[in-house]
Amino acid sequence: MFSRLSYIVFRKELRETLRDKRVLLGVIVSPLIVTPLILGTVLFFGGKKEMQKMDAILNIGIVEQTAFPELIQKLEDNASIETQRFETRDDVITAVEERIVRAALVVSETARNDFQNNQSVGLEIIFTFANETSQNANNRLRKIIGEFDQYALAKRIQKMDLPESFAKPTSLKVNNIATSASTGSFLLGLFLPYLIVISAAFGGIQTAFDLCAGEKERSTMETLLVSPASRFEIVQGKLFTIFTISLIAALCAITGIVAPLTFGLDILKDTLGDQISIKLSSVLAMLLIVVPLALFTSSMLLVISSFARNQKEAQTYILPFISIVLLPAMLSSIFGAENHLYTAFIPVLNISLTMKQILGDLFNPLYFAISLGSSFIYAYIVMRIATAFFLRENILFRT
Amino acid sequence: MIIAENLTKTFRDRKRGLVRAVNNLSLNCRPGQIFGLLGANGAGKTTTLRMLGTLLEPTHGNATIAGYDIRENPQEVRRCIGFLSGSTALYGRLTAREMIEYFGQLNNLKGTDLSRRVDELIERLEIGEFQNGRCDKLSTGQKQRVSIARSIVHRPPVMIFDEPTSGLDVMTSQTIMAFIEQCRSDNLTVVFSTHIMSEVERLCDRVAIVHHGIVAAEGSVNELRQQTGETVMENAFLKIVHRMEDTNV
Repeated sequence: MFSRLSYIVFRKELRETLRDKRVLLGVIVSPLIVTPLILGTVLFFGGKKEMQKMDAILNIGIVEQTAFPELIQKLEDNASIETQRFETRDDVITAVEERIVRAALVVSETARNDFQNNQSVGLEIIFTFANETSQNANNRLRKIIGEFDQYALAKRIQKMDLPESFAKPTSLKVNNIATSASTGSFLLGLFLPYLIVISAAFGGIQTAFDLCAGEKERSTMETLLVSPASRFEIVQGKLFTIFTISLIAALCAITGIVAPLTFGLDILKDTLGDQISIKLSSVLAMLLIVVPLALFTSSMLLVISSFARNQKEAQTYILPFISIVLLPAMLSSIFGAENHLYTAFIPVLNISLTMKQILGDLFNPLYFAISLGSSFIYAYIVMRIATAFFLRENILFRT
Repeated sequence: MIIAENLTKTFRDRKRGLVRAVNNLSLNCRPGQIFGLLGANGAGKTTTLRMLGTLLEPTHGNATIAGYDIRENPQEVRRCIGFLSGSTALYGRLTAREMIEYFGQLNNLKGTDLSRRVDELIERLEIGEFQNGRCDKLSTGQKQRVSIARSIVHRPPVMIFDEPTSGLDVMTSQTIMAFIEQCRSDNLTVVFSTHIMSEVERLCDRVAIVHHGIVAAEGSVNELRQQTGETVMENAFLKIVHRMEDTNV
């Protein structure tokens, strides 16, 4: 199937492509170095900010229209806030606006009576949603008030000689049986398939444009066509170069995301579980399913590149292609991992959903087989179209 | 040996409808002879050479090159020809040596045969100094020498030149013309298209004047001058073209 001449064309195209700085930067350097750096920087500073948010002592204004020491004492004892008294509600609103305090608590005039009569005490929190610190102060106040509520409720129950269960009609125990590793994989499944599909589909763009439209533009195409290699052998060599680069792009994208998450970022442990690990079998299954996708998109890119007279024209034809890939890939973020079998026939989406299943430990052999099979069929059809385009002299010599 | 009979190529153009780029063109070119296709831009020279090079399929007619039918054995035809045009470029990210090797490999040269042949061409065309330099860094003259090496690496018996000096300076043009003369001395069959009269006068043993895809006249340079009664080739060319246009009107 792959003749000696196809191999010679492939080897030369790959060698030339790997000397192209634009390809190296976009396909290898960017996903392997730039993406982890950006991801690491964002997560590092994001985590640092979150820690600062948690550690910061916040100024809270208090307007006590009547004395309510039970709660106010709790607030004053809390080390994470610093309280400041105000006379009126208007004064404290101004103080919040001027960021003298970050949030304020206004205690109603009847608070003491209400509390002693087992009524609900009227409290008002004043904060501004337009300021992150103010939001943080609001959350902190609510947490302290929530703790006070629990404490006060327990006291009331005790006083009335009721059992503790009186305020808890149900006793709920939630047991998450997922291991931390599988939780991490599930969370990876939310965005990794999308990234892999995008990388595999768009990683070969520069190469595809260079190998066909670029050759026409630089007038090297004629030289190649007049060599003993048949057009079929030439198109095979070129197609497999684009395919190889697309696969490398997908592989680099996986490595660039998974490696820093797996090895370097302790900061994520709370969010994504103790450890993010993907089983080797899952990686192999994902690589297998990405093969027809890369073939499919490489062939589409070759069709565009064959049709275009030059690289600039190819760039204008790329928009529909981007939509064809991007839309199903984005849809996969909305769809869950468990889907009807018919989705295994939808190009691109099926690949993305299959990866989601693999990562979420929901591997369905039938879904995988249909997805793989149908994707190979689509890839074959587009490959035939790409070859037919390349064989047509009115397309290849379009002026 | 090239024998073309009634080569015709038509294109469908959205604005102009059916365009007959080449119309019943026949030619016969023997080894050791330079056959020139002389014509203005758009006369059909490049289309003719592309049909001979099997890049385009003739709508009608046929040709044989070194005994191979361009319709039946296009791959064999391509093995027998070296194709060089002024517009053909080199692969910028390959070195001069890699470029020659690549086309040697495409023409079935392998191992020591390939490296020996590449070394021989590098020495003959004085490429040694820049053989490991990337093609996009070479001067126009150096590029042209690599192009020549690329076109003859497989020792083709037939050479096709499509306006090979187009856009080149005088010095580089001289290198190309000397190379074409060398091909004749080496007993190769040479077809050469141009619109530059001085090149025709210097190089061609036989000339076909092509106008609107039709051979308007054919003969040696002297025969064409005699036919028209002109001493200057340019005037002879114009007379033949005008005569043909008048006949068509």
